[in-house]
Parts: sequence; structure tokens; C-alpha cells
Amino acid sequence: MTEQFEVVGIRQIPSEKQEKKNRWHEGKPVLSGGLLMLIVAGCLFCNLIMTKDPSYLDFQHYNIAPDREFLFGTDMMGRDIFSMVWYGGRISLFIGIVSTVISTMIAVVFGAVSGSAPAWADTLLMRLTEILLSIPGLLMVIFVQAILGKASVLSISFVIGITSWMSIAKIIRTEVRQIRNSEYVIASKCMGGSFFYILWRHLTPNFVSSIMFMVVMNVRSAIVAESTLSFMGIGLPVEIISWGSMMSLAENALLTNSWWLILIPGTFLIVTLLCITNLGNYLRKNVNRRERNI
Amino acid sequence: MRRFLTFLISIFLLSAVVFYMSRLAPGDPLVSYYGDRVEKMSPAEREWAEEKLGLDDPLSIQYIRWLENVFHGDFGISYKYKMDVLEVIRGRIGNTLILGGVGFLLIFVFSLLLGIFCAWHEDRMIDRVICKAGTIISCIPEFWLSLVLILVFSVNLQWLPSGGAYTIGREGDAGDRIWHLILPMIIVVINHLWYYAYMIRNKLLEEVRADYVLLARSKGLKKRNIMFRHCLQNIIPSYLSIMAISVPHILGGTYIIETVFSYPGLGTLSYESARYQDYNLLMVLCIMSGILVIVCNMIAQTINERIDPRVKMNELVCTMDITSEITGVAGMPDAADTAEVTRV
Repeated sequence: MTEQFEVVGIRQIPSEKQEKKNRWHEGKPVLSGGLLMLIVAGCLFCNLIMTKDPSYLDFQHYNIAPDREFLFGTDMMGRDIFSMVWYGGRISLFIGIVSTVISTMIAVVFGAVSGSAPAWADTLLMRLTEILLSIPGLLMVIFVQAILGKASVLSISFVIGITSWMSIAKIIRTEVRQIRNSEYVIASKCMGGSFFYILWRHLTPNFVSSIMFMVVMNVRSAIVAESTLSFMGIGLPVEIISWGSMMSLAENALLTNSWWLILIPGTFLIVTLLCITNLGNYLRKNVNRRERNI
Repeated sequence: MRRFLTFLISIFLLSAVVFYMSRLAPGDPLVSYYGDRVEKMSPAEREWAEEKLGLDDPLSIQYIRWLENVFHGDFGISYKYKMDVLEVIRGRIGNTLILGGVGFLLIFVFSLLLGIFCAWHEDRMIDRVICKAGTIISCIPEFWLSLVLILVFSVNLQWLPSGGAYTIGREGDAGDRIWHLILPMIIVVINHLWYYAYMIRNKLLEEVRADYVLLARSKGLKKRNIMFRHCLQNIIPSYLSIMAISVPHILGGTYIIETVFSYPGLGTLSYESARYQDYNLLMVLCIMSGILVIVCNMIAQTINERIDPRVKMNELVCTMDITSEITGVAGMPDAADTAEVTRV
């Protein structure tokens, strides 16, 4: 021990008075929120933005690079990418939200049943979820979809929804197990509250904050799943425009080196996903960060 | 012994479910056997063809017959390739194992290094930059990343081939194979890297805040020593068990990439077999991935029991919780084709 003396484990003591009042947007994902709003609004009101009819096949102008008339270029079938991006975003976002609603509903019911069931049933149900959870998600969707055959917007949302509820269900189950013996739940039960009444009025408000992050992330993975499916040609057909199905023409685009067909819808997709992720991270409970010891 | 029994039962259930699911689903297996000729067949010819392939019996009889054959080591023929199923798979499995296996090793090593690096530089510029970049990259769907890389490196720069496992006519050339592997491999690694590196980082940060670290520091141990000898040692076992669980994830993750690069591996094969109702092939592939998932879970469990003897048979839960917690989006990255385990 010939080294010099060093004091370890000192940390700053937080000062009593705050130096400056935080501004409202401090620590909030303003940029992501704003961008997401912009994209969602653009997709919702796409009729006002679109310069062309997105499904009109203009065989005179096919596969042209972005220029003044066609802001983002056109695809192999002469459709205007700029209009398609906004129009297709509608369907992509719709699928993301609908499938998340489906999976959350399954998760809430499943988790609550498992959480309030007797021990043996709980073990059984949880074992089932674990098996499902250990099977990775996206290809599961692909295989169910491949077996089901032809896809529509609703069937895709359904397939994605029923394959992505497991992790939320596990969290809900844990939370429900913790609160199911609280006085107010028992009281409500004694007064004849039905299962769904208790679930809705007493259990849900308690676990909603802990699943919020997962729910938001589910929107994200649903959008990814849809675009992957459509890209592989087993999701939405080319006629139904979504961000995924726009890229199902990518194989041809590679041959002709038309970068705009791949980059533009992809960029929209990724920016949306990124914004959703940031929002989700913001929703995640901020863990108290302690000073490190090393 | 008990484990082996559960193993057998789950495989049996899996096979039954896959069998019924795939056959009840719409789609005509004759198409994959006869191709377009099916449409021109007369009803009599159809009947004859169905009888020949054994598709005209009730499902349960078909299933029992399938089981019988399997016990004699006969998995049936693939309708599409008209070869024994095992032969078809044997031709492809090597490719997938190379892509998935080497990818797995690379991910394993790099995520460990990256995680330690970030934890070491916590909250400094470099750590923040890496974290941001990691979040962005983890948002990019793998198929799009592959498309962009193909667009840049093979279409525009023409440095690397855009697909396949070898140049036609040079099957045996190892260098050529490696050449074709570069792009898919990069994507496999990039896609999963951050997921695990971030996990390592967070676990290390948690560890660094433990009281024993303060003790070690006050005894005068060097930072590097504490980090590598003590903190790292504490998280390695759980890292190992998580990596064991993620083997099927990573192998499965190669499936989509294989399809984009039309790389002849199990991924393209199972995709085709599900798409074209190639029942026998689908069965074997599903059962193989089922076995993989179960075996990996068992390995993880064994590791966990070794670390902490309190964890017993029925507590696989904890590792699962860790994975879903840390990765944030459980089951998010891609996958194995055991879709049908859903119904088990």
C-alpha cells in the first residue's frame, strides 16, 4: 500500500434550495412527442396533404426519382410515394394501435384471472405464459399468418395481438397478487362485486402505471411486425398501402437501384418507432439513481 | 428423470398441435407437390393423388400413422423437394448453424465488451452517445437494415454479394462462403448487440452501487480490479443464463435475414414449408426448434440452480423476468418457428 491516499465514498449533499425553477418541458421528450404528433396528424389528415391519389397507377411516370412534381418519386407502378407515405401511415398506425388494444385486453383478463386464481391454477397459467414467452415473437406471428393465408388489416392486427400479450400479463399477475388481499378488494367482493367490476374499478387503476411502458412498446413492436410481414409478402398485399407493403417492392428497387423506394418509407417508419420508444422510456418509472461507489 | 419426462411430453404435445394446426389451416398441399399442374387435374386424379400422399384419411389416423413412422425413424418426404425430409434439412442446417452460431459468439463477446465499456464510462459523453446510437439502432427493423446495406454495399459500391451462400460453381470455396456471410452476419450482430450490451451495462451499474464496492474501495483496491474481479464476476452467471435462453432468439433472428438475403438455411426452408403446406417438413422443423427452446431453457435453469440453490425446478420465472425487464420489449426481436406452441 504505497499508493497515495484517496478519499472514497464521498458524495455531494444536495443543496436545500433549488437554484432555478424547472421549465415545464424539462426532462420531457418534447422533440419525439412533437415529431410523433406531426406524423400522426399528417396521416390522419392525409387528404389535405396528398398531392396525388395514392392508389392511382400512373404508367407514364413510373419509377422516377424525387423531383418537383413527385416529391418523393414514384414506384414501379407509378404511384406517388409522397402521397403513399401519409396514406400508408394511417394503416400502419392503425394496425399498431388495434393490435395493442387486443393484446392488452387479453393480458389484463389473463393476468387478473391468474393473479386471483388459487395457487395451482396460477402456476399452470404462468407456466403457459412462460412457454409462450420463451418463443420469440416475430416469427411466431409470421408462421400463424403464413398458415392463415390471405391477410387483411384486421386479421393482421388480430394475429399480432394474440401473440404479444404475455409479458404484460405477467406483470399484471404479479401486481394483482400483491393487492388482491387488500381490504378494499375484499370489501368489494363481500358486497357482491363481480369479477369484472372489481377488475375494472379496483385492480386496473393500481397496475395501469406499471404496464404503461410495455403497452407503448407493444405499439412499436406491432408496427415492426406488420411491416416485416408485409415486406416478406405474407402481410398486406401491395394494393393495400402501408409502410410495410410499400417496401415489399424493395426487391425490384434493389435491381434498379431506386433508393427512394426503400429509404423514404423506411425513414418514416424508423422516426415513428424512435419517437414511440422515447415516449415509452419517459413513461417508465424513473428509478432513483444513487451515486456509484466505484 | 422428471425433466426428461416433461421434455418428452412437451415435444409430443407440440407435434400434435402443429400437426392439427397446419392441416386444419386453409391451403392445398398438393400444390407444393405437383406445382401448377394441380389446377388442371380432374377430380379423379386428385383423389388418386391425395390417396397416394395419404391425405384422404381422417386427421387422427394420419397423425397416428405419422407417429408410427417417426418411431421407425421415417419422417416422411418433403412434398416440395420430393426428398426425405432429413435429407432436405441436412443440406441446409450447416448454413444456419454457421450464421447463427458465429453470430451468437460475436454477440456474446461484443455485448460483454460494449456493456463493460459503457458502464465504465457511465454518464460521460461517449456512454451517452453509445446509448443514443443503441436506442436508434434497436428501433430499425432488421429487414430494412439489410435492404439498406445491400443497397449501399452491393448495389452501389459492389463490394459484397447481395445474397445466397456461395457463387454458383464455387460451392466448396471457403473464402467465397465467408465473403457471402459478411453482410448477413453484420446484421445479425448489430441487431442483437445493443439489447444485451445494455443489459450488461445496467446490471454492472447496479452492481457498482452495492456496499461491498465501497468497502473494497476503502481497502484501497484499484477500480479496475473491483470492476473486473468483483462486479463482473457477480453478473456473469446471470448473463450466461440469459444468453442460454436467447439462443433460440438469435438463431431465430437469422430467419428473416436469411429470407432477405435468400440465404439457403433453415429460415427460408421453414418459411417456405409453412407457406406451401409442406407438412412433413414443417413438422420436423417445428419440433427441432421446440427441442432447441426447451433444451436452452433447461440449460438456463441448470445455471440458475448452480448459482442459487434456492431456485428450484419451478422457478424459471426469475430469469424470464430479467429478460423481459431488461430488454424492455419482451419477445420483441424475431424468432423461432414454434408458432404452434401457442396452443400447447
